[in-house]
Amino acid sequence: MPSTQAPLYPVSANAVVASKSSTVELQNVRKCYDEFVAVADLSLRIQPGGIYGLLGPNGAGKTSTIRMIMGITMPDSGSISVFGQPLSRAHMDQFGYLPEERGLYKKMKVLEHLVFLAQLKGLSRAEARKRARTWCERFELTAWTDKKVEELSKGMQQKVQFIGAVLHDPKLIIMDEPFSGLDPANAVGLKDALLELAKTGKTILLSTHRMDQAERLCQSICLINHGKIVIEGDLNQVKAKYGRTNVQIRYEGEARFLQEPRLVQSFNDYGNYVEVRLAAGADSQDLLRLACASARLDKFEVMEPSLEEIFIDAVGKSNA
Amino acid sequence: MRNTWLVIQREYLQRVRTRTFLVLTILAPAIVTVLMVLPMKFANMGQGPEHVVIVTSNQQFGETIRKELLASPVVEDEDQSNPEAKQETKDLYTLEIDANPTEAERNALREKLSARSINGFIWLTDDAIANHQITWYGREVAGFHERTWLSTAINRVTQQQLLSSRGVPSAQVEEILQPIKVQPVRIEEGKETKSAGRGRFLKIVVMVMLIYMAVLLYGISVMRSVLEEKNSRVMEVLLSSATSTQLMTGKILGVGAVGLTQIAVWMIMAGVVGLPALAAQPNLSELAISPLAMISFAVFFLLGYLLYSTMYATIGAITTTEQEGQQVQFLIVIPLVLSVFMLTPAIRTPDAPAVIWMSMIPFFAPIVMYTRIVVQTPPLWQIALCLTILVATIAGLTLLCARIYRIGVLIYGKRPTLPEIVKWLKYANS
Repeated sequence: MPSTQAPLYPVSANAVVASKSSTVELQNVRKCYDEFVAVADLSLRIQPGGIYGLLGPNGAGKTSTIRMIMGITMPDSGSISVFGQPLSRAHMDQFGYLPEERGLYKKMKVLEHLVFLAQLKGLSRAEARKRARTWCERFELTAWTDKKVEELSKGMQQKVQFIGAVLHDPKLIIMDEPFSGLDPANAVGLKDALLELAKTGKTILLSTHRMDQAERLCQSICLINHGKIVIEGDLNQVKAKYGRTNVQIRYEGEARFLQEPRLVQSFNDYGNYVEVRLAAGADSQDLLRLACASARLDKFEVMEPSLEEIFIDAVGKSNA
Repeated sequence: MRNTWLVIQREYLQRVRTRTFLVLTILAPAIVTVLMVLPMKFANMGQGPEHVVIVTSNQQFGETIRKELLASPVVEDEDQSNPEAKQETKDLYTLEIDANPTEAERNALREKLSARSINGFIWLTDDAIANHQITWYGREVAGFHERTWLSTAINRVTQQQLLSSRGVPSAQVEEILQPIKVQPVRIEEGKETKSAGRGRFLKIVVMVMLIYMAVLLYGISVMRSVLEEKNSRVMEVLLSSATSTQLMTGKILGVGAVGLTQIAVWMIMAGVVGLPALAAQPNLSELAISPLAMISFAVFFLLGYLLYSTMYATIGAITTTEQEGQQVQFLIVIPLVLSVFMLTPAIRTPDAPAVIWMSMIPFFAPIVMYTRIVVQTPPLWQIALCLTILVATIAGLTLLCARIYRIGVLIYGKRPTLPEIVKWLKYANS
């Protein structure tokens, strides 16, 4: 399993040094709630810098894993270390956390609230105020700093919560479904902020079930289901491992070729085009010839599967 | 420590700054005063003297009785805290003589009584006197003061007449009938105080009620605030920065500080408004609160609040809605109500073994021990033991409850069962 595998990051001098002290390392971590096994002997390593995607369907154990990394709950067995040391209370000030279940004190004023959260993380009052103002400016919240949280729209509250998670300049930022509930414009703003933080050397653990986002943002991913790792590693390598087994076809005419079991394992009709997954051992050129015989092709492109497909495929297999 | 302090600060400032706090702090004493004073005013208003008919066998005897009754006060003025003592008897009663002691008249008077045209009548015929048994008819049973007033006056008149008829000169009659009064003297801390202790009783009840109400109100406030953090999901962010113990103790202390502020403001207000009125009272010394009582009030209010609010915080953590919390919290209210029931025995017999034992049980101690200290200072070792047990219980409970709290605040939906909670207690490793 992953813990015994070599790190999937490109091997460079830096990476070797870094791997000695991964930002987060889980070893055989297990968490049960009564009979229910939320996390089953999970082992993973998050290297410093960049965005690491923790993916999985609802109820896969993402939030349980995150809560243990945050020290909010304790694993039943196994060990967690951060920055090369066993996890302890002392590390909490280095973490920034945006939980999936979001919440703020409704009656508190925005700036006050941010200062309170940052002070809990060890910042001085003056420093917290200064940073909060800067961040509010960036997220166009300056006009709202003296308003009560309950007067803000949901999207704005979410931005406030995001600021609260990064205000104290944490080394490790954990975001549980950060984009849910944001409109496209705000989602772009948040994405830019995340990428910028990643560039400055922060490690970001992004938990999501939105595969398109993970595909665009993450360098590495870990896909879990039923508390177990299904796939882990560098995103490009994961995709390469799945191979170029997909064909996107836009056509006019008969679609008989889609019914050929020797060549087509499955297909997905998106209306404008069809995405075909080739059967094991099938040659894409055979499919091209067959398609040409019955239809007029506008497009025929062999490509890597999307993360979403890998996800559906892998989760389907692990459920089976 | 820093985190706990930050939580206390937030909790305190957020509460004290609200308009609700300001209004409640200023208006509550006003409302209480109005509620206490108005009924008293109403009771005295629009109610003239009571109309009482005295039925006798002859008019002249009736007149004598009437004179004697009007001359003697209904309530002995030794107890000045009773406002009735200041009133003249003739303002309280209109007495009418009826020298027609027949059964028909008795029935007629009964009807008048039912029709509320009279307030009562006394059957004081010669036969009744001979039998040493006279009867008072009223819509309500006569009170202790009224009965004493009546029997003293009637006894005096009949004895006077009896002695005169035996030939005793009237000067000697007066001498013989000179009443002997019992003067109550209470020894408190080696000093004599002349009083029936009515003011003292009132004082204890007011202070105990203050402890009771404050513990209940601020305790519920803690519970609601935990529920709010839980339901608004702000808890999870807080838990990523502070431990559950820090959050719980910070919240309890913050709300407690708000309570102390409120009570301090009330005390000052009471001092400013009440002192001039109190200074006019002749028995001021009795109403004044001794430093010992003041200190023990502060101590027992704080400890009682800490004990009960820890339990309230835990209930907030294991329930998900306020309704649910209200249902469970009655478990906490029971010991509190029981200790109020023990108030009377604790005041009457502060050193009875049962009362002593009760004052040692931490859940009753804030009220029972406080009462004991104020009524009759118990031996020092008893106070020390009581405080030790109380503080130890609070410490133990905080440890236990923090464990339940830590897990409870992250559980939404179904309320945990008792075995589940016991299991949480065993998760010792953080």
